[in-house]
Amino acid sequence: MKPGKSTRIALLAYGIFTIAFLYLPLLSVGFASISKARYLTFPIKAYSTKWYGKALESASVHELIMTSLKLALIVTAISMVVGFFGALAFARYHWRYRTLFQKLIMLPIFFPQMVLGLALLMWFNSLGIIPTWKTAIVAHLVWIAPIATLIIAIRAYSFDPALEEAARDMGANTWTILREITLPLLMPGVISAGLFAFLLSWGNFPLSLFTTGADLTLPEWLYAKMVAGYSPLVPTLGIMSVVASFLLIMLAFSLRWLVRSVRDSRAAEN
Amino acid sequence: MTPDPILRLDGIVKRFGNFTALHGIDLDITEGEFLTIVGPSGSGKSTLIRLLVGMDEVTSGSIRLRGQEVQDTPANQRPTCMVFQSLALFPHMSVGQNIEFPLKIQGVTVSERKARALELLEMLRLPVSYYDKRITQCSGGEKQRVALARALAFDPEILFFDEPLSALDYRLRKTLEKELKDLHNRTGKTFVYITHSLEEAMVMSDRIAIMNEGRFVQIAVADEIYGAPVSRFVAEFMGEVNLFEVRGAQTTGLMAQDLQIHVNGNAADMGLGLDPGQVGTLMVRPEYVRFLPPGETADFIISGVMHADYALGSRIQYEVKVADGRLLTVEKLREDRFTGAPGDKVMLGFDAESAHLIHEGADGKI
Amino acid sequence: MEKSDSRLGFLSALPLGLVLVLSFLAPLLVIALFAVMPQKVFSLANTPDFSSFAVILSQGYYKSLLWSLGMAAVSTVMLFLICWPLAYGMAKVFNRFTLILTIAVVMTLFVSENIRLFGWVLTLMKGGLFEGYFRYFFGFGYDSPLYNVPVIIFGLVYVYFPFMLFPLAQGISMVPDDARQAAADLGASRWRILWEIDLPLAAPGIVVGSLLSFVLAAGAVAESKILGGQVVIAISDDIETAFTFGQNWPLGAALSLILIMIIGGLAIYGVSRVDLDAIMGRKR
Repeated sequence: MKPGKSTRIALLAYGIFTIAFLYLPLLSVGFASISKARYLTFPIKAYSTKWYGKALESASVHELIMTSLKLALIVTAISMVVGFFGALAFARYHWRYRTLFQKLIMLPIFFPQMVLGLALLMWFNSLGIIPTWKTAIVAHLVWIAPIATLIIAIRAYSFDPALEEAARDMGANTWTILREITLPLLMPGVISAGLFAFLLSWGNFPLSLFTTGADLTLPEWLYAKMVAGYSPLVPTLGIMSVVASFLLIMLAFSLRWLVRSVRDSRAAEN
Repeated sequence: MTPDPILRLDGIVKRFGNFTALHGIDLDITEGEFLTIVGPSGSGKSTLIRLLVGMDEVTSGSIRLRGQEVQDTPANQRPTCMVFQSLALFPHMSVGQNIEFPLKIQGVTVSERKARALELLEMLRLPVSYYDKRITQCSGGEKQRVALARALAFDPEILFFDEPLSALDYRLRKTLEKELKDLHNRTGKTFVYITHSLEEAMVMSDRIAIMNEGRFVQIAVADEIYGAPVSRFVAEFMGEVNLFEVRGAQTTGLMAQDLQIHVNGNAADMGLGLDPGQVGTLMVRPEYVRFLPPGETADFIISGVMHADYALGSRIQYEVKVADGRLLTVEKLREDRFTGAPGDKVMLGFDAESAHLIHEGADGKI
Repeated sequence: MEKSDSRLGFLSALPLGLVLVLSFLAPLLVIALFAVMPQKVFSLANTPDFSSFAVILSQGYYKSLLWSLGMAAVSTVMLFLICWPLAYGMAKVFNRFTLILTIAVVMTLFVSENIRLFGWVLTLMKGGLFEGYFRYFFGFGYDSPLYNVPVIIFGLVYVYFPFMLFPLAQGISMVPDDARQAAADLGASRWRILWEIDLPLAAPGIVVGSLLSFVLAAGAVAESKILGGQVVIAISDDIETAFTFGQNWPLGAALSLILIMIIGGLAIYGVSRVDLDAIMGRKR
């Protein structure tokens, strides 16, 4: 009944091909970013890092990056807090409207993001709020907070409620339990949710498109340049944005590794 | 002449990497018998049944079904079928659809399928109204019966069982054991059952095969395995037992190694002798050990002090501390209970006909 | 215990609930209200009418809606066929490679989709990675496959690949191995097992994956703009134009409303049919 060896190998090859396929366009962008020519054609004749230099010097690029960064950081912080409690309501507590709540959370994820942005634009307009990058925080949260909730919920499902009950049995009140038991146990989920939230916000453009007002995020700028008129800075900034994301992931993984090995060596000493 | 076996295993070896799970299994299964393979977990019994059903491939050796080699035939082309430990009922199908599944695969018409499914429901004493019931709404015992019905619908040459009763509570298990034995009688099919529970094996089987560390240790009828095990492992595996390490002696035929057993006469004359110097194990089941009142005697006599007693329902179990400090087990029916109290001196005795000599020392060496 | 559970459940749902009510449900209401405003107004303080819907019918806006839905449907079917073997591998065959594949696929989600689509433009365009090297080695080139409907569908398949893959893998991993083995033992062939056991038991994953892919693809705009060069107009594109160049909010709102009704209807139907606890891995 188990798949034969040839099936396994074929599936493995298919998987490897898929990964290659997924990353192929990034390879093209990478090559384009180090091409010297202003108008790109392959094979690339001369390589240069001058576009990176230009990007790093440009004040407008700095502003783009700062806007994206501020936005992503605030979205991350709020998503982690909201997602933590949301996950408890989603997976841990048995309360009356739990299934309704679960389904409500899924809806924004299933929603066309650009339309969501437009709806918010009209909503802000009716409230008399002028959109800036701060209103985009709300737009990002509508989509990202539910995702953060789901990620933490996965962790919350594997969490034994008896642990909380034991703590209560020993006299802990709700807040103490939350602080001493629930939060530390869900922490890995909260951290990965934070990582997801940051990266999704950092790379998002359809939600920002109509909700940042006069401000521009990096993905918005890239989109604008791609659709109307090419700039040799597009591949360069694209790659910079991707590299920043990947560095953050690397950092997260190595921090996790560091924490684990410190913990292990401490355990070994004891 | 014995009839040709329905299934013959010849030198079955199964390796997982460097680990050898089965070391050359040989076995003949007779048509229509109820054979139970018993072993502790990790003995290789589950590995063996997976090979027999065709869910794993043998490393070497052959499996012949009515003389035909089938070891390379995949499960879906073998005319045998298994009742899984988890039962593996299809959760998205009704009771009726589950039972009809093998018939559907065989291309039986809808009306015939239904007729057969209803027949099987009746055979397994399930109400006909269960035909449309969801599997998830069935109780443990009902699921068990549906799984059996599904396997019988397949009409297999041999029906295999992989510990299907292990998840049920005690009483239900007892009922289903009897039902299964009854079903075996009614269908006349060959049943091969694996379990780690000896009780289950004893209740149902014609023959029991004891497995340990990837080998068969003993294959025999239940009484023989219980009363005349070939090794200390089998003796201990088959329930409470008192084992004495013994050595052949000139005058008495046997001499206990570490404690004083008084032999009334010569053990060799009673059929329990060993050559001088040879080691072995003398075995007696607790229910055959008697408390000897003054003046009464037995073939083998040991003195000790009553240590504790435990009520086992219809019987009472006693622990008696003997000379070397170990505890011997004695079991008596309530009506034959011991009347003294813990701390009393007692004399224990048993007769040669209820004892058995295992030609194996305490270290497992023969 | 039960009582405190319901209180704590409500309290902890409150922050996210507020976010969603204030910035998801309320804006939806505003869309619905704007959809019945007269043309080209920017305030809700007007007498409602259905002029937007009349414009949609008379000016052929439904065409872009049909294009979007059609392309979404085709790409969903393709995604299902492409992802099934891989999802099966992830759930039942691979060991370590499942993790590698998961990480590799998740990482692509963090790269803005427009960068990845732009990468395909650079790969496929005349003088791009493929054609450029092809010309270099063979001395002659070929026409770019960009700017047509198939390449838009290709883009949709590419971008929404993870949204089909992961739910499918999750769905397949919910199929008990025992059930598959029992079916084989009862004589079912490989195809029969796929049809009778795998597909029905993986249905929750299939529903979620297909819905996600369809819904996201139906609302997508970047694929047709970047890869398709607007050879066909996607509904989201029309909505964007109505809001920006057209400066006609009621028209945009009405188009959005129609899209939302279709997508929301599907999403609510799908989500209500699926047991989220089971999919997310509740302990039994």
